[in-house]
Amino acid sequence: MMAVVALGWLVVAAPAAAQQPGVHYLHQGVMPPGAIGGRQLLRGGPLPGYFQPVEIKAPQGALVSLAVAGDFDRPKAAPRRAGFLIGQVYRMRVTNIHLHPGMEVFPTIEVIDRLYPPRGQETRFAIPVELTQEDLELALQGKFVTRVIYLEDPRRALPVAEDPQQQEWFEIGPGGDPLAAADALGRPVAILRMGARLPDAEGPDAQFLFGCPRFVQYPPRRVPPAAATPAEAAPAEAPPAAPPAAPGPGPGGAAPVAPEAGQP
Amino acid sequence: MTKARENAIADERWARAWRLLMVGLGVLILCSCQGPAQQFCAPGAGPPNAAAYPSPYPQLPESAYTGVPPVPPQAQAMVGPPGMEQGVPLPYQPTGPWTPPGIAGPWPQDEYLRDGGDRELPTRVSRDWEVFGLDLEDTVAHYDTLDGRTVVEPSNRVHIYAPRFAAVRKVSAVRADEQIGRAGGFHLATTLLGPTQALPVGVGTQNYQPVGGVAARPPVVFRSRQGDGVVSEALGAVGFHDGLLPFENLAVIRMGTFDEAEMPQLARGINAALAWSHDKAVQVIIDQKAAMGATADQTSPSVYTVGAPPGDPKLRVIKVASTPFAEPGDEVALTIRFDNVGNQVIGNVTIIDNLSPRLEYVADSAQCSLDAQFLTQPNEGDSLVIRCEVADPLEPGQGGVIRFRCRVR
Repeated sequence: MMAVVALGWLVVAAPAAAQQPGVHYLHQGVMPPGAIGGRQLLRGGPLPGYFQPVEIKAPQGALVSLAVAGDFDRPKAAPRRAGFLIGQVYRMRVTNIHLHPGMEVFPTIEVIDRLYPPRGQETRFAIPVELTQEDLELALQGKFVTRVIYLEDPRRALPVAEDPQQQEWFEIGPGGDPLAAADALGRPVAILRMGARLPDAEGPDAQFLFGCPRFVQYPPRRVPPAAATPAEAAPAEAPPAAPPAAPGPGPGGAAPVAPEAGQP
Repeated sequence: MTKARENAIADERWARAWRLLMVGLGVLILCSCQGPAQQFCAPGAGPPNAAAYPSPYPQLPESAYTGVPPVPPQAQAMVGPPGMEQGVPLPYQPTGPWTPPGIAGPWPQDEYLRDGGDRELPTRVSRDWEVFGLDLEDTVAHYDTLDGRTVVEPSNRVHIYAPRFAAVRKVSAVRADEQIGRAGGFHLATTLLGPTQALPVGVGTQNYQPVGGVAARPPVVFRSRQGDGVVSEALGAVGFHDGLLPFENLAVIRMGTFDEAEMPQLARGINAALAWSHDKAVQVIIDQKAAMGATADQTSPSVYTVGAPPGDPKLRVIKVASTPFAEPGDEVALTIRFDNVGNQVIGNVTIIDNLSPRLEYVADSAQCSLDAQFLTQPNEGDSLVIRCEVADPLEPGQGGVIRFRCRVR
């Protein structure tokens, strides 16, 4: 009789127990880079292999370099837009920081979830990752800054207009978990970590660069969203002619090309 | 066979059955663990054959099966050439928007702004026209019928792709070349101390360094700055993009032309009225209006039944948006078309739109094709409830258009 009851319970409860919640209750923001995104891939869905567009914003004049083939590529002015794989960790180098000439900061970005935009609008609706001047200065002071970027729930969003030049953010105190706070406010999609890490004197090694995972680079946005009218912005962000999906070994037919000239 | 041997055989059978039961339960538990199939592929084995290894996600790339994308030998990063001569590489997109099985789009809902319809509590109107149950994002119309009822009609729902992001920041200090060991002992004064005695002050180490100006900011503080208020004039007050939602009918919205296929009930009423208006049929005039027959038998002219047509007040409310996707700061034009598709006059027609917290009404942008009065009042989402009260009653077949603009927050 007990065996029958146990069998019945297992049949009923096993599928429910196997379904994992859509939030990161079991994760913490202090987990090492890559752990949260790696666990997110195990939840299923079309996450592996998807290059989620990300827009890296930085203060005026700052230069951003991405890790390519064991080193950083040529510094480019922010904002930079690139497609990052979910679950991978991307190391950057930020230089030419305002009021801190010669100083460098090495943030990391980990994309832990993706968006599902309409076809052709993938690059227009990229995840914004902001490196603020305050965060960069805190990192230069030796602090460790963690930013969990989340997607707001429209029904619970703060009814204020968003400044296109500055992302809204909350501050949590010591002892708080930024991932749990972001889970309560929306859906976390990316984690920015900054500070407390420097490459070796001989140069960055593979562990510091997290293996230089692949990424897809997009051109910067031509017109800021606030300054462009919808009629003007639409053709500027119109989906370009996508290459055929079959010949390219990369996802979506994005054929890998040789690195830019002058890169290490 | 002795009694002890029989007991031993019985115990052995029970033990064997128990072992089989445990093995079965173990197999069942292992089979019940769900997970993506691709995680069981051996790394480096390459993507399995699609025919031999069917995937629930169509056309996933090779990296979807192994979890580790193959690294090209010449470069570890795909970097676009200057000028993007070969086109901008788009991210991987399967055929059509992906949605989980059994869930209708648009999905996921947190990436879309919704406006329209009557979700959650049904909207009701009291006798003094006070509205109850109007939730955020609801768009309804209510009107009074000839028999004294107040009917509520919701509109369709409009979806606009407009994700918005925010961040949660935490700043902590990092200690280098420091190790925390176990406490080797402690000093605790257990005796009463005299007034002149003092306890030694211990030295403690705090894991998180309180940072001035950062930790003092409470978690509830929200930092934002109002936008510069740039208003796009190129969109136009009445402009529509081509990408309208599938259920929208441009002929009805833009031109107001009625199609009989869209109004079968009204068409049936018209046909019936024409049939019984023939000179040879029985003519019944009530209040200067021709009565319509409810039932009749054309083959037997001696039997006729004449009755008053049942009142069927009906208001159709259709809502469309100018664009299916928008970024914060963009303007979206919303148009509501309402038509009296019933067979009697309706009065006190009022259209109410409870805007989403992400939509900000552009002041003085509302207009109506009929004589109407616009009223606004704040809602619980710090947005506005737009109320349009049509002055004159609507005859059957009569309708109007309301247009207003909103800015995506």
